[in-house]
Amino acid sequence: MERFKRLISILMIVSFTNVLFIQHAAATLISTEQVARAVAAEQGRSGHARLADVLARADVQQELVRLGVSAEDAQLRIAALTDDEAALLAQQIESAPAGSGVLGAILLVFFVLLLTDILGFTKVFPFTRSVR
Amino acid sequence: MVSPKSSRSPARCAERTPGAGRRRFLAAAGATALVALAGCAAAPTLRPAWQAPADLPRRVELADTPFFPDDTYYCGPAALATVLGAAGLAVSVDTLADQVFVPARRGSLQIEMLVAARRGGAVATLIPGEREALMRELAAGHPVVVLQNLGLSWAPAWHYAVVVGYDLERGHFILRSGAIERELTSFRTFEHTWARSGRWAFVALPPGQLPASATELEATRALVAFERGAPPEAAERGYAAALAHWPASLILAMGLGNTRYAQGDLTGAEAAFGDAARRHDAPAAHHNLAVVLLELGRPREARAAAERALAANGALGEAARATLARIDAVENGPDSPR
Repeated sequence: MERFKRLISILMIVSFTNVLFIQHAAATLISTEQVARAVAAEQGRSGHARLADVLARADVQQELVRLGVSAEDAQLRIAALTDDEAALLAQQIESAPAGSGVLGAILLVFFVLLLTDILGFTKVFPFTRSVR
Repeated sequence: MVSPKSSRSPARCAERTPGAGRRRFLAAAGATALVALAGCAAAPTLRPAWQAPADLPRRVELADTPFFPDDTYYCGPAALATVLGAAGLAVSVDTLADQVFVPARRGSLQIEMLVAARRGGAVATLIPGEREALMRELAAGHPVVVLQNLGLSWAPAWHYAVVVGYDLERGHFILRSGAIERELTSFRTFEHTWARSGRWAFVALPPGQLPASATELEATRALVAFERGAPPEAAERGYAAALAHWPASLILAMGLGNTRYAQGDLTGAEAAFGDAARRHDAPAAHHNLAVVLLELGRPREARAAAERALAANGALGEAARATLARIDAVENGPDSPR
């Protein structure tokens, strides 16, 4: 069922985006983002690359929801990504550093970090002061 | 402990705090353990001392930078609220949390930090991962968001903080960090924590203000991304300032034309695209110039521009042909649909 829903949502996004693209090509300017990409690649992108962008967006949105972001927020968040950012985020959402503050992963290695803090290699605990 | 956590000589530490003797013992034990575990741990201290360029101010502190204390997992939203506030764009930490926080990861991702800064109305530009770049931004009055790994590579504690100052004499940075409004971190400790994050840092500035240290590549990337969601007049301000600094950029010139067009400023757009077309002979510039000329009621000039776009390159052929068809429709009679 999950898979089916996912497929349907991707299909809808793809078809919707394609409609937008067709109107775009007929009516308006070449966007700055297109120019930037063309400069980067020395040529325009193929339909396949565009499709990959759309899939990346759908992936990121789905992942964000799975990781606890509300569906509404997730939609707004992916809408603001550039195509490059969407592709990058789709690759790294599990592995990229998530800056969280000083609570993460602390207890397990409390003593090691305490020592390294004191030596000034790390700065996990607010109460430590480097010896140098 | 009331005294600031800067790097000091052990002797002074010992005078001031009763626990210092034991801490020194722990430090010695730790040093032994570390050297035994990994011989590389002590290497950075052997590097030649870093020399500050003579034209940098000796001491900078952006004391007016707001502070949003956080002792949970919201260092990302708090850091964003701090720099956006400093840029005159007040956004609440809760609003920003909805835009960047990932509950299951208990943190915020770097890309989304940049996106949220843009949504808040600022141009978010990555700066080079160098101490001097950081200091140049501070000297220019720009607080810098940095990602630190406060822990170790194999036991990471990722953390966003905002650098608001430095002191070359005393050798520390001043940070808004977590629950501490004015954290003094020695250059050495900061280097360790910053290097472990890949030296990631960005500034968030109102459009029209350029970062002091950013490369053309990053400044351009930031503006193109900003244009995506920003009001066109704001994006135009950004492009105009950047183009004045890097006049040879095709992308910036196109951005200037596109944002003027988006505001309905056809004359301004014609000027920008015309400049870009003359300077770069790029098909995108010819094409957009053709569209604008057509809408200005100059189909003959528009046709010339569209044909140059078509001749130059196949990648934009489809768009150029569509525009030529529009020109045909206009030239063949006022009743034809555009």
